[in-house]
Amino acid sequence: MTRTRLSLRYAALGAFALFFLFPLYWLGVTALKPPAQLFAQPPTWWPDPPTLAHFRDLLAGAALGRLAWNSAVVALGSTLLALVVGTLGAYSLSRFSLPLRLNHHVSFWILSTRAFPPIISIVPLFLILRQFGLVDTRLGLVLAYAAFNLPFVVWMMKGFFDDLPRELEESALVDGDTPFGAFRRIALPLVRPGLAATALFCLILSWNEFLFALVLTQTEAALTLPVGIANQVTQYEIRWGAMSAAGVVAMVPLFFVALLVQRHLVRGLTYGAVKG
Amino acid sequence: MERRPVPLAPTAFGHRGHALFPYFFLAPCLLLLLALTVYPLFYLARLSLYRMTPEGEAFAGLANFARLVTDGFFWRALGQTLVFTFSALTLEFLLGLALALLLHSQIRGRSLWRALFLLPMILPPVVAGVIWRLIYNPNLGVLNAALQGLGFDTSRLTWLADPSVALAAVVVVDVWEWTPFVFLILLAGLQAIPEEPYEAARIDGSGPWQTFRHITLPLLAPAILVALLLRTFDLLRLFDQVFILTQGGPGFATETISLYIYKTAFRFYDFGYAAALSFVLLGATLALSHFYIRLLQRPERTA
Amino acid sequence: MEALTQRRGGWLVAALVVALLLAALLAPGCGRDEAAARSVLLAVNAGVEAEGLKQAARDYERQFGVRVEIVEYPYPSLFEKLLIAFSGTTTTYDLVMLDDPWFPRFAQMNGLRDLAPLYQTKKLDGPDADFLPPSLALCRHPYATGRLLALPYVGNSQLFFYRKDLFEKHGLDPPHTWDDVLTAGLRIGAAEKMHGYVMRGAQGNPIVADFMPLLWAFGGELLDADGRPRVDSPEAVAALELMLRLGKIAPPGYVNFNADEVGAHLAQGTAVMGINWPAWIPTFEDPVRSKVAGRIGYAVMPSQKNAGASAIGNWLLAIPRGSDKASLAFDFLLWVTSPEAMRLSAVRGNPPTRSSLFEDAELRQRFPAYPVQQQALLGSRPRPRSPVWNEIENTFGTYLSQANAGVYPPREALARAQRDIVAILERWNAAQSR
Repeated sequence: MTRTRLSLRYAALGAFALFFLFPLYWLGVTALKPPAQLFAQPPTWWPDPPTLAHFRDLLAGAALGRLAWNSAVVALGSTLLALVVGTLGAYSLSRFSLPLRLNHHVSFWILSTRAFPPIISIVPLFLILRQFGLVDTRLGLVLAYAAFNLPFVVWMMKGFFDDLPRELEESALVDGDTPFGAFRRIALPLVRPGLAATALFCLILSWNEFLFALVLTQTEAALTLPVGIANQVTQYEIRWGAMSAAGVVAMVPLFFVALLVQRHLVRGLTYGAVKG
Repeated sequence: MERRPVPLAPTAFGHRGHALFPYFFLAPCLLLLLALTVYPLFYLARLSLYRMTPEGEAFAGLANFARLVTDGFFWRALGQTLVFTFSALTLEFLLGLALALLLHSQIRGRSLWRALFLLPMILPPVVAGVIWRLIYNPNLGVLNAALQGLGFDTSRLTWLADPSVALAAVVVVDVWEWTPFVFLILLAGLQAIPEEPYEAARIDGSGPWQTFRHITLPLLAPAILVALLLRTFDLLRLFDQVFILTQGGPGFATETISLYIYKTAFRFYDFGYAAALSFVLLGATLALSHFYIRLLQRPERTA
Repeated sequence: MEALTQRRGGWLVAALVVALLLAALLAPGCGRDEAAARSVLLAVNAGVEAEGLKQAARDYERQFGVRVEIVEYPYPSLFEKLLIAFSGTTTTYDLVMLDDPWFPRFAQMNGLRDLAPLYQTKKLDGPDADFLPPSLALCRHPYATGRLLALPYVGNSQLFFYRKDLFEKHGLDPPHTWDDVLTAGLRIGAAEKMHGYVMRGAQGNPIVADFMPLLWAFGGELLDADGRPRVDSPEAVAALELMLRLGKIAPPGYVNFNADEVGAHLAQGTAVMGINWPAWIPTFEDPVRSKVAGRIGYAVMPSQKNAGASAIGNWLLAIPRGSDKASLAFDFLLWVTSPEAMRLSAVRGNPPTRSSLFEDAELRQRFPAYPVQQQALLGSRPRPRSPVWNEIENTFGTYLSQANAGVYPPREALARAQRDIVAILERWNAAQSR
């Protein structure tokens, strides 16, 4: 490869890096800026001196800790629910031939939910949950999140089960094991990596979710981090410091989760259409 | 992708109850799915035939749908959503392809770059909105500051406040956030292409552009299709970023269809009309998803 | 990743996580139950009002041992949450803060508790005469005559701000009519290289609030005496045309401005005149945050055909009907609207709703604009008391914003607004008659 071509490539890489990474840098810097420098014109490129005041303020208001906790509980809860129920269902769809062409219909339905705009479900879900007194509760949010986590888990796990050759389970059944035993002792351990990857995906999806949380929460009893961030945009001013600090807190755990799940990232993103 | 499932071994099912195991496995899942995804649609259908007010409901027949036809705001929002979708899709595809090709070639530190470029996609869309709102601020933002530093007059550049530019500004935010998505998928697609066609082309003395056009692009087509289709679904449902960036303003310039439905339901408390609007949106996405499903149920290729 | 999932102890850890999770999910919010009996939940607007109330809540808890928990939302979200709260049978909140234009809707929905029986339990006849009449009138349904369903807490009504030093410098009297505003803006703006005028152009509540004084001054009305929209009247068109001319000397991007940006331009000395809420006065007079401390003048709304009138914009406090802590909430309500507590709130920057406080010598010294504010309040007008005001305001605000953005010429924008508002009212009336 010629020198100019190589340097062109690095130049392009640099341009991409600037575009995609600078805003993230800016978020971090803003979160660390002392309040006076937030409104400096022209903006300062580096906080001088960096301060943790915004993070402290958020924690002091009890808001940040509470919101992060709610986000975590809801994400974990709905992931667990979707994982347990969905993995069983996925196994069934993968292994058993069901009457009424259920295999086909359920698969079709699950794929199509990937296309649905959430706003379509939120109106009826809100009214239904309200009848059960589940608005502004973490439990209600967990159930609502299952609406998109469950189809995802079923589809992903079905893919992983489909990739597993059946001979091991078949021989177990012939030896007298029950279907559930074959599932638990043979199939499940073999799909553990896929299970973990799917779980992490659900965690990311639930942690980032905004619209459902906006509608279904009212007070700190259930408010999640994304809604808390949006609420910093008040009528009179935008609390940039608080918003940036909350943004950093919302972002950092996800980065580590994403690193863990890197190997299966493409598969998860495309619902298995492209095996990355 | 559908293979023949396990035939139920006769010896294992001498006992009662074993034949029902598939249903035990499936029942909770099916019930939950029905409750959370099917039932709400029926509820929605019923809602759309009523006029909901906080005081109660009144049967309205197809009045909500009739109103939809003449609702200028709805069509405007729909049109804007489509314009937004198309522009963002094009940009994300071109940039994503460029980045994928770049990181597929000989560049040092590829896996590090791949991990770094993931970030915009991983963070909550709300946070992306926050970041860019900060950047776009005409007085405090880094964009105008940088332009001023380069000698431009930024007094008329208000980005999110300028009705003729606001939608483009929101497009940029989406491109920033989701190009990594396209990039990742296309990179995976590139990595799945075997070496043989390239070797043959090299032997034939084919130039880089020809190689790209006749070998890379066709073999990448399935991945491209998946990426574009998935992005289309997500662009049609755009809500989070617009909510933070502009709330649909200035003067309705960035109102998307999801935002319009949301406001109708939760600010005007007109659930009936919101339900009718939702159905139109549902119809459009179902039509599109038909293509998506066909794509996924093809016999598997090299991917 | 794979290594993690192979560990044996994984199941035990998983079981522990599940147990913890169930506990976290099913347990109600952090120990709210024990304290819940002596606590009251109050929903407020995020911003200076919330800050004031948070302080008040702390004082109250220290004095009476009752915890007032405050949850704040941005303005549009507050309306949404209240709408949801009032349409159910149970409610999350024990006390709510509402913007007065929302009051007719919530009153109509029967969401607010009648305060008369609560006053009786305290052996009181009702609110004392110290409350400003226009503010108290807002709290009755029907307006001014009906049952008392709220108490006024923050006595906002718009003020007209102008750079009195620049007017003096150019030998001009403070603007008396809107034509004066335009000529002065053009002249001073050009001479001083400033924006002659700054206003709120953001669609919805902001732009409508800024437009109403103009509309009224030109003799227009949004709804006539029979409640029919008159948005496309010649007076309205004239008012909008003047607004557009003012827009030409306003900072670019004003079409997205809210009170935040308007205040910033005035405080930074880049605009000559503008309408804003009195909450901004402390900022303008603070040498640290403002470049024009001591140089801003306050006046009532300019006139035109009619005498100038500001839109009143009081924040009211009410008790939802569904709350089961009504008497506890009412105790706090009485306390926080009492002269002593309201005085503290005034010191923190929230204009009061009591005459005695506007006439208080010490407060007048601290807030030299108080006489003007009181005058503006007494001469103010409420926005139309329609239960669908929120929808009307949103629609009207969108068209106004579009006219300012140049999407439609003024006449057409108002014609479209008229058509849509008529439709809104028709739908509402049709639903009511069932």
